Amino acid sequence: MDLNFEDLTLEEQEELKRNVLTTTVDQLKAWVRSHSMWPLTFGLACCAIEMMGTGASHFDQDRFGVMFRASPRQADVMIVAGTVTKKMAPVLRRLYDQMPEPKWVIAMGVCATAGGPYVRSYSVVKGVDQVVPVDVYIPGCPPNPAALIYGINKLKEKIRLEAKTGKRVSSQ
Amino acid sequence: MLGIAKGLAYTLKRLGQDSITHNYPDEPLDLPDRFRGIQTFYPEKCIVCNQCVAICPTNCITLTGKKHPDPNNKKRIIDTYDINFEICILCDLCTEVCPTEAVVMSNNFELAAYSRDELFKDLDWLNENRKNVREVNRP
Repeated sequence: MDLNFEDLTLEEQEELKRNVLTTTVDQLKAWVRSHSMWPLTFGLACCAIEMMGTGASHFDQDRFGVMFRASPRQADVMIVAGTVTKKMAPVLRRLYDQMPEPKWVIAMGVCATAGGPYVRSYSVVKGVDQVVPVDVYIPGCPPNPAALIYGINKLKEKIRLEAKTGKRVSSQ
Repeated sequence: MLGIAKGLAYTLKRLGQDSITHNYPDEPLDLPDRFRGIQTFYPEKCIVCNQCVAICPTNCITLTGKKHPDPNNKKRIIDTYDINFEICILCDLCTEVCPTEAVVMSNNFELAAYSRDELFKDLDWLNENRKNVREVNRP
């Protein structure tokens, strides 16, 4: 069934906007998904300490419905926190493949974003986006818990925006 | 039995106290003055001495200078100043080494981006980053 707002008068449109919740199933799904993102803990270095701090009582992540899962099969979002070495990269890819769709990746810290202090090293992957597609990059060495919360909220915004516009959001 | 009573006494004592959780996205987080967020750059103070570029452990700073428009003036002025924030490890050495305090730290940490290109900060961005700048740079 189609709904044409153009046929209605302006007052009727306003009336509809006030009283009827018009949405698509995609938008509703995105709204639900963005309110319960269960991250897979991928702590690889010191950024993991800040990620644990975000889960603890000072910066309670459960307020946003973000609860850490230890299994990739129950996770929606992977927070890659720390240096990804070339030895770890295939394991990271396998865990990403084991996550059910839809799935997102947050690169936390400069090591996961671009290699950070190890950018001229022979054994470190220069950015986790060479292995898995990344949605949000959080710079900082390490980013403080509030910066991680900001990144998570940015990912929430992205999920809803992608459902609303139907386009991929890559940069502003 | 005594253990349960001890535990309950502690629980009841804590029950009336306020929650320690920061209400972060609704209220701004207050940070100490020495917090390292992202650099602020003042082009008018810079003397193009290149010390920050030399000391940066990850070589994330690049700068170019140009000659002073007045031919008798030997001073150089800054032309471009870029910080590749993708690999900046916030070691604070650039602000410590700067003789004129042209580059200082600010408390702004909300820098998450959807693409890596947004993390490349140029002179204009760093110059406009004037909020929550560190007040006392030298201890």
